Amino acid sequence: MVLTMFLLFVLYIVFVAILSRYMGLFGVVLVMGLFSLGQFFFSDRLALYSMGARRVDADEYPRLHAMVDRLCQQADLPKPDVAVADTKMPNAFAAGRSQKNSTVCVTEGLLRTLDEAELEGVMAHELAHVKNRDVMVMTVASFLSTLAFMVVRWGWLFGGGRNRQSGGGVVVAILVSLVVWIVSFVLIRALSRYREYAADRGAAAITGRPSALASALLKISGRMKDVPDRDLREQSEMNAFFVIPLRSGVVGRLFSTHPPTEKRVDRLRELEGEMERR
Amino acid sequence: MGLLDSLRSVLGVRTDADATREADPEDLFGMSTAYVTMEADLDFVPVGAAALCFSSVDSTDFAAAVDEVEAILGAGEEETGTAFHRHEDDHGYHWVVLEDDDPEDLVTSVHFAADTFVEEGYGSRLLAAVFGFERSRDGARAYWVYSFRRGAYYPFAPTGRHERDNRLEFKLQSVLDGELGVESDESYWYPLWPDGPNGHPWE
Repeated sequence: MVLTMFLLFVLYIVFVAILSRYMGLFGVVLVMGLFSLGQFFFSDRLALYSMGARRVDADEYPRLHAMVDRLCQQADLPKPDVAVADTKMPNAFAAGRSQKNSTVCVTEGLLRTLDEAELEGVMAHELAHVKNRDVMVMTVASFLSTLAFMVVRWGWLFGGGRNRQSGGGVVVAILVSLVVWIVSFVLIRALSRYREYAADRGAAAITGRPSALASALLKISGRMKDVPDRDLREQSEMNAFFVIPLRSGVVGRLFSTHPPTEKRVDRLRELEGEMERR
Repeated sequence: MGLLDSLRSVLGVRTDADATREADPEDLFGMSTAYVTMEADLDFVPVGAAALCFSSVDSTDFAAAVDEVEAILGAGEEETGTAFHRHEDDHGYHWVVLEDDDPEDLVTSVHFAADTFVEEGYGSRLLAAVFGFERSRDGARAYWVYSFRRGAYYPFAPTGRHERDNRLEFKLQSVLDGELGVESDESYWYPLWPDGPNGHPWE
């Protein structure tokens, strides 16, 4: 994961260096910066809204709240808001910009599908995302990627040049942005997959029961096959991808934000083994 | 939050680190004097019971560690007369419940049990130690909860099934602050609701 982060970092540095040579991009960067900030601050509301979820209190879902309470206590987290989406698809996600300001959301389908221990595993996984500040990490990581995409898409507007010199520069900038965008896209997805493994490991540490999360994952992926839509967690994780239109169509492991279920289950089994051997 | 914690977050290992951080049971001895203050200044007498809440690990080794704790408490029972029993609550968490009219013995036994968990390498599974109090005049219940994760105490005063008396909790905080290390961030004052009405959290 450190290597992925490093590669992204180097890529972005080079990108900014080249861009600043060819285009007066201050305005674009400013606009994008504001845009990202907005996304960062409203990501939780956006995510909840897109899932049709609403916040629920302890009177409505006492058991769910009690479960989150205890998991947070174990994970040393302040209590996040709890939301429920009235959807059949079993799913869950975490949103929000900081530990103090976060929401965990589950669907009715998930509550119905999983038993107590499995649900605990999934909630612990989401709380681990909160704890690891994944929203912030992914927003930062994808900021320049988004910028590169904007240049690819709208760069020609700047090239309606008064002279040939600047027109050529814009073409170079667009080409460079295209390369940066494609490479960073793959790297960001890889980073996202690492964060999923990290959250699985975190969940195992919180609950002490890796097998519960493993069985939850298997159950969910079994159900998911019957449901035509894609994993909605991708939407929440995070809206950094909202502006990138490449949503479906290009499938394949390189572009997936989540590792395959079998691999996650394998790793959880290994953890289970480690606990037994210590 | 320190620089190291931020780095851990960014690398995605913060959860493991915090969830498996060892507990320090020495803070539990702070309850000895707190028992005196609770009665002298606030009219809250001990209910004669305290408990240790922990979450289990799915392994044979952990089961052995719990057996060890029981053996040690069993030996202590003969010495101090502190009775104990195990309890699993509705949420799947485990409790070691200790009963003794002498608060001093309660504190010692809770510490003993917690210390054994730490020695067996499972200090990170300890969630909370809970000490119960009751106001004789109106029967109001209040608890001091020691969070092993936070290394701090906080008050918990349940009134109904799912309500808590915040005013009483703040009063307890203001009187006992300084004597106990009280958690200053109220968002960490997690309730531990009893399974049944009018029960203790460990019932």
